[in-house]
Amino acid sequence: MVIIDNKKETTHLLEVLAQIQQALEQSDSFALHQLSDQLLHTASIQQHTDILTIAVVTYSLHKLVTKKERIPQREWALFIKKFNGELRKSSEALQEQDAEEFARHLDHAKELIETSIGKKMAGYVQEILKKASINKATKVYEHGISLSRTAHLLGLSQWDLLEYVGQRESRDSPYVATIDEKKRAAMALAFFS
Amino acid sequence: MKLLIFDSGPLINLSMNGLLGILEKLKTHFKGKMVITPPVRAEVCERPSRIPQFELGALSINALIEKKVIELPESIGINAKQLEVQTRNAMDCANHSFRADNHWITLVSDAEMSCIALAQLAKKEGHEPLLVIDERTARLLCEAPENIERLMASKLHRPVIMEKRCSTEFRNLSCIRSSELVYAAYKKGLISLTDQKTLEALIYATKYKGAAISWEEINILKKLG
Repeated sequence: MVIIDNKKETTHLLEVLAQIQQALEQSDSFALHQLSDQLLHTASIQQHTDILTIAVVTYSLHKLVTKKERIPQREWALFIKKFNGELRKSSEALQEQDAEEFARHLDHAKELIETSIGKKMAGYVQEILKKASINKATKVYEHGISLSRTAHLLGLSQWDLLEYVGQRESRDSPYVATIDEKKRAAMALAFFS
Repeated sequence: MKLLIFDSGPLINLSMNGLLGILEKLKTHFKGKMVITPPVRAEVCERPSRIPQFELGALSINALIEKKVIELPESIGINAKQLEVQTRNAMDCANHSFRADNHWITLVSDAEMSCIALAQLAKKEGHEPLLVIDERTARLLCEAPENIERLMASKLHRPVIMEKRCSTEFRNLSCIRSSELVYAAYKKGLISLTDQKTLEALIYATKYKGAAISWEEINILKKLG
């Protein structure tokens, strides 16, 4: 739990928090998806778990918005009001450099997803939050952070991540191949001779 | 002595693919040991044993430890304290090697670095270690740390600066992935399947469970079969 020490990044985070509120009010699933990725550069460098929480929560909202017809309209409107209220308080705390309050309101916002919506769609919400964590973890891993470190940051196990990482790495990265594959294969064979 | 040092990824990979049995068979093909570190053991056995979805995998790996197919560093005379100190040094180096926006990027955690630390200690003791690492970052640290710098810069869209000492610290360590491990098992006749496509199926299986291997490398490996 640390407040970002870079003014430019703090301004960016405040903008993103405002945009998340707006996108949620407009039920703009696409914008929420985009916003959930926007924080990953900062998250990969500074590795604040709070920023990863925002990314996970925003990705979960993107998924929930597409299923909002399953939630009673009044309940959904109340959820948005409470959720955005917590994000506003969190933004105020960030502006005042109050790390504890910033994290506390973020946690409240996340809890609202589990409690306000979770009552009717408990299993679905839990699944969404888990998948959101995995989605963000695979992206942090793509940024160059090791798998074990990534799993730790997102509170996951490597068992959760490996299958997804394997499926996402379908395109060849020019940086993955290092030594000649014939040499590596020969090294493996020679070891067992 | 030859030492095959496993990171968590390849063990999870083999477990998820139902291929853990090849380790017992491979063990009879070399005079040496298969070793894991305590942080890796925690990741492959202790933690998943509390997650119903992965409990069977954890039990299967633990059975290999109980049978001494896979052993702990004490079995080669390296104690927990030595390994802990070396791991801390390796982590300190790796996590103070890349900078962006004036921030050191915490790249790795103790599980993969304990494998690298064990390989370093084993080498000093005159052993012949070979690391089995599926994930990209730890392997790149050993083989081409400059590729981490390039990868991160391309993903973060900003300059990433690598400290010079990182380019040499882990360089002299050899790595294979679970893909080359199943290739070796196939070449040694340890796979019971006889279909012509067996080798490619094995390699694809390891890729889709997290081995960082390119399609070009897969094609080379397939041709070698």
